[in-house]
Amino acid sequence: MRVSAPVRATVQRLTLPVLIFISALLAVLGKADALLFDHVRVVLADTLAPVLQVAGEPIVTVSNAIGTVKDIASVYRQDQELKLENQRLLQWQEVARRLESENEELRNLVKFAPQGAETSIAAQVIADSGGAFLRNVLVNVGRDEGVTRGQPALTGDGLVGRVIELGDRTARILLLTDINSHIPVVVEGTHERAMLNGDNSDQPQLVYFQPKTPVKPGDRIVTSGSGGVFPPDLPVGVVVSMNGMIRVEPYADLARLDMVRIVNYGLDGVLPASAIPVPPSIGGGRSRATSGR
Amino acid sequence: MPYSRNRDYFGFVARMVPGTTTILFVLLSLLPFHIPSFGSIAPGFALMAVFHWSVYRPDFLPPGVVFFAGLLLDLLNGTPYVGLSALVLLLVRTAVVTQRRVFSHRPFSILWLGFFGAAVSAFAFEWAFVSLMQVHAMAPRSFIFQTLITTACFPIGSYLLALAHRAMPALSG
Repeated sequence: MRVSAPVRATVQRLTLPVLIFISALLAVLGKADALLFDHVRVVLADTLAPVLQVAGEPIVTVSNAIGTVKDIASVYRQDQELKLENQRLLQWQEVARRLESENEELRNLVKFAPQGAETSIAAQVIADSGGAFLRNVLVNVGRDEGVTRGQPALTGDGLVGRVIELGDRTARILLLTDINSHIPVVVEGTHERAMLNGDNSDQPQLVYFQPKTPVKPGDRIVTSGSGGVFPPDLPVGVVVSMNGMIRVEPYADLARLDMVRIVNYGLDGVLPASAIPVPPSIGGGRSRATSGR
Repeated sequence: MPYSRNRDYFGFVARMVPGTTTILFVLLSLLPFHIPSFGSIAPGFALMAVFHWSVYRPDFLPPGVVFFAGLLLDLLNGTPYVGLSALVLLLVRTAVVTQRRVFSHRPFSILWLGFFGAAVSAFAFEWAFVSLMQVHAMAPRSFIFQTLITTACFPIGSYLLALAHRAMPALSG
């Protein structure tokens, strides 16, 4: 079908301003109504997941190769370090065994009901937001594998973030460094409650509610379990800087995520009160649940 | 439009090259690069493609395709501001098309400098927009870093696009 030249020229001239207007409108309104795009996003991620996964293979291969070369270069030093670490860990193993048996005896003594069994699923990172104002990753497991929204994602080192978007075959994980990430935490050993707020930098900020015990660099930060999104005592990071803001270096290497573990602790947003083993003295002041965008 | 003179010479497949490579570059920017000390910030490959084709073949990269590529990027990277990349890429295309005489038939360094200008403007715009929407001035560090890494990677992107560009006459049959 042929359209007359003047009509076509008018349409062509109008396309650009109209598209600019539409994109500006979407960008402004989309934030106000996040649900607007959620469905499209999930379907698109599910559809393109195989493509992204295949396209990512060479990158994984190359980075593994680089990693191998680096490892070979430092094999002697690593060997020495590992021997020392092994010695130390053997001592810890001894301690752990003793504590385990002691724990069991004490549990039998007080008839303690353990928390629900956890199941976890390994997931490969297939896309990275890569943007300057976004900290999230897309992984290759979804509803089909039993993942649900809000579940925590971890590496062997510590907490990575939580599932915020769910498709059949993909899930998006909001990293704890993202500006929309707010995680209820405690400083290990002090019961000092705080929020770990991402601000898109590599080290999220620690914001206190009731500062009583001074926090110092090197203090370990773990999840508090408040709000029922994360179970208590997941390792998060370590306090690194104190000038002005308290910043926490996450244990997990968030810049180079390859595989993560999505864990089902049987939590569904709000924990039954009996499942949180906290002394009554610090039970009050339930913190704000982690809010999504 | 002077740059559409060769339209009949190019076949359908050749005409698809700019749009297809732009979409591929969008996907490229989403791949998780685990290369040591690369960080979590990837170069803006989509910006490179839009810049390149806006200089050399804007007739084969119409605003509709740029809009689609930007929207795809936004939907896949999980941003709360779907449409922002589309807006930025459309603005870059508009600016470059009006200035393309400055770049064509000039040494690569001029093109690179022009791209640096486009990248600075694009990421500054994103920074201002996100800061405004979050009602909080975002730390500019990541944006500056992304501008620099995108500019630094431009020669690679531009080289790949030039390869595709050179293949176009052959593809036109």
